[in-house]
Amino acid sequence: MLIENIIGAFGEVVQVKIMLLMALGVLSGLVAGAIPGFTITMAVVLTLPFTFGLSTIEGLATMIGVFVGGLSGGLMSGILTGIPGTPSSVATTFDGFPMARKGRPGLALGIGVWSSFMGGIFSAILLMTLAPQLARIGLEFGPWDYFSLVLFALTITASLAGENLTKGLIAGALGLLVATIGEDDINGVARFNFGTDALKQGFAFLPVLVGLFAFSQLMSDVQDSATARKPLMEKGAKAVRVEHLAAIKALAGDWVNLIRSSLIGVFTGILPAAGGSISNILAYDQAKKASKRPQEYGTGCPGGIIASESANNATAGGALITMMALGIPGDVVTAVMLGALLIHDVVPSPSFIGEQPVLAYSIFLAFFLSNFLMLGTQAIALRAFLLVTRIPMYMLAGVILAYCAIGVFALHNVTFDIWTLFWFGMIGYVMRQLGFPLAPMILGVVLGGIAEVNLSRAVAISGDLTLFVTRPWSLFFLIIAIFSIVFPWYQKHRGRKQWTLGFLPALCLALAPPLFMMGGVTRPIVGGLLVAVGAWLLVSRHRQGWKLTAPVEHAARLEET
Amino acid sequence: MVSAINRDTAVAVFLLLFCGVFYAASFQIEQTSYGTIGADVWPRLVLGVLFVLSTVYLFQSVRMGPDEAVKQKGFLVRYRNAILCYGLFLVFLLTLDFLGMLLGGVLFVFMALSVLGERTPRQLAIHAGVAVVSVGAMWSIFTFALRVILPEGEVLSIW
Repeated sequence: MLIENIIGAFGEVVQVKIMLLMALGVLSGLVAGAIPGFTITMAVVLTLPFTFGLSTIEGLATMIGVFVGGLSGGLMSGILTGIPGTPSSVATTFDGFPMARKGRPGLALGIGVWSSFMGGIFSAILLMTLAPQLARIGLEFGPWDYFSLVLFALTITASLAGENLTKGLIAGALGLLVATIGEDDINGVARFNFGTDALKQGFAFLPVLVGLFAFSQLMSDVQDSATARKPLMEKGAKAVRVEHLAAIKALAGDWVNLIRSSLIGVFTGILPAAGGSISNILAYDQAKKASKRPQEYGTGCPGGIIASESANNATAGGALITMMALGIPGDVVTAVMLGALLIHDVVPSPSFIGEQPVLAYSIFLAFFLSNFLMLGTQAIALRAFLLVTRIPMYMLAGVILAYCAIGVFALHNVTFDIWTLFWFGMIGYVMRQLGFPLAPMILGVVLGGIAEVNLSRAVAISGDLTLFVTRPWSLFFLIIAIFSIVFPWYQKHRGRKQWTLGFLPALCLALAPPLFMMGGVTRPIVGGLLVAVGAWLLVSRHRQGWKLTAPVEHAARLEET
Repeated sequence: MVSAINRDTAVAVFLLLFCGVFYAASFQIEQTSYGTIGADVWPRLVLGVLFVLSTVYLFQSVRMGPDEAVKQKGFLVRYRNAILCYGLFLVFLLTLDFLGMLLGGVLFVFMALSVLGERTPRQLAIHAGVAVVSVGAMWSIFTFALRVILPEGEVLSIW
């Protein structure tokens, strides 16, 4: 079945036009990802309007190309200048930049590119095999479970998005409120239109997203006139020859690190809210701990680059697994990707992979092939990146603002969408200035409709609200939602307050009951394992006299970067 | 200069007022005889959550105490570029029907670049070139390649 679907998708994707579009997408993503101040989300958002006129597979393949390219682009500036192009490649600079300064920039780039490639391929294989399995689990979900899943996605995004959890949760609630404006999906009644016809249809998702994210980001980038007028990179990165063979040898010699980091990347991506910006640090930390020569990390060690780059590219596959199988975007980039899919009439859900296997596998295959294209176009992207870095930020910002206006107009051919872009551009900018994270708001806008529809369905099926806590999956998501709310305090006080020692055992023990309630064989076994791990953690901490140990922090290094 | 309240308190109060306005507006939502839950239930639930969170935020901000107020001049200098860009974008939007996307876009980019960058004759010429080429290229791609009918504007339609 898997092979049949892949062969079917192969015929759809492997066409000259689609491959060229994908290569163009990868190249755009690589260059945009390499520019500090630009994010992968920005690259994906700005490419989207160009795909409106393309067929579904052409458009999606292009978008996936941008996504993959963006993830790998950050390493170029990180290695050559010490400034990571995207948050996903922060840890790459820890060893990439020192290696480049030692006179081996070609090797550092080679290791980065090949690690990105291997991480991407690894996660693409897992995407093809795991997404259908997760979709099968998703078919078990009732509206109660979906509602709780959305709640969990919002709470974890709020808790991971910024320093202040309250601000994160407020941003999420504001996003949910924005999604209620206009005609509701269930009763067809206009809400909060304040007497205006334009608001009866509500806000289109993409202008809101482009405004909140791209417009406000550009305004933040040009806030300081002196900085905005300077070329993007004053350090003047020079073109180098990528040492492919030496890089492959380095990877072959550290394959355990490669696989471990790729796995960390995939599983971080599967979790809602935890994207490449987290996985690269996690993988770097684990690689350093597992290394026989941890003291070499930070001085130009190949293992550091391998860990960071394989993890951040693998995260993309993980994030796509959740989105394609459950229809729930895990972070802002996948929220934009979901928007791209919806524009092309593709609605990911648990039944989507089963009902439209060729289309689903075409998306998976496009992701797989994009990694090869990334490898092939890196040299061209490097040259383009060196050219782009000579342009001052204010020029890019001015041009992109006009482009945003044209792009959002092209969505529905209505001027109201440009007004939406303008208003949400201002809201996003003000929120940034006030320290509100935007990711929870964006997810709130995307997930608001899903939450409401499922709440309505749940109430329609039964008026019994206890079903939200008696259905195993719903209870499971509610428990992790509660723990995700406590997580910022746990992170803040870890190693300093004794209650933090009980956080992980409590999480393990709390998650076990819903798994037992699910029945079958595997899940109760997993539940039993969780009880065993929780009990073991409790016993070992009791034996150590609940002694606190300070966690290893990368904050100082991150600040330096 | 020390303000009586801190910035977060002001934001929290604004959010509470915002909740009040939307809560009042939720009574304008039409009640239907069909559907299991009314169209006003979910928005009110969200508003309830937002109200509770804003109240928590208010208490947190009050506990932090007053903060240093940003001087008016500092505020304007700091946000000058953003205010000007949003202003120019607003003008672009208001004149869109008259100037159209092509002409309006070129003017917007030229003005934005000139406001953000240096204004020497050489730079102004570069800004004009960048504006014409970039907006012209984008307009051509969307009009001819993607077949999107962009607003033509009264000026160009007369010509």
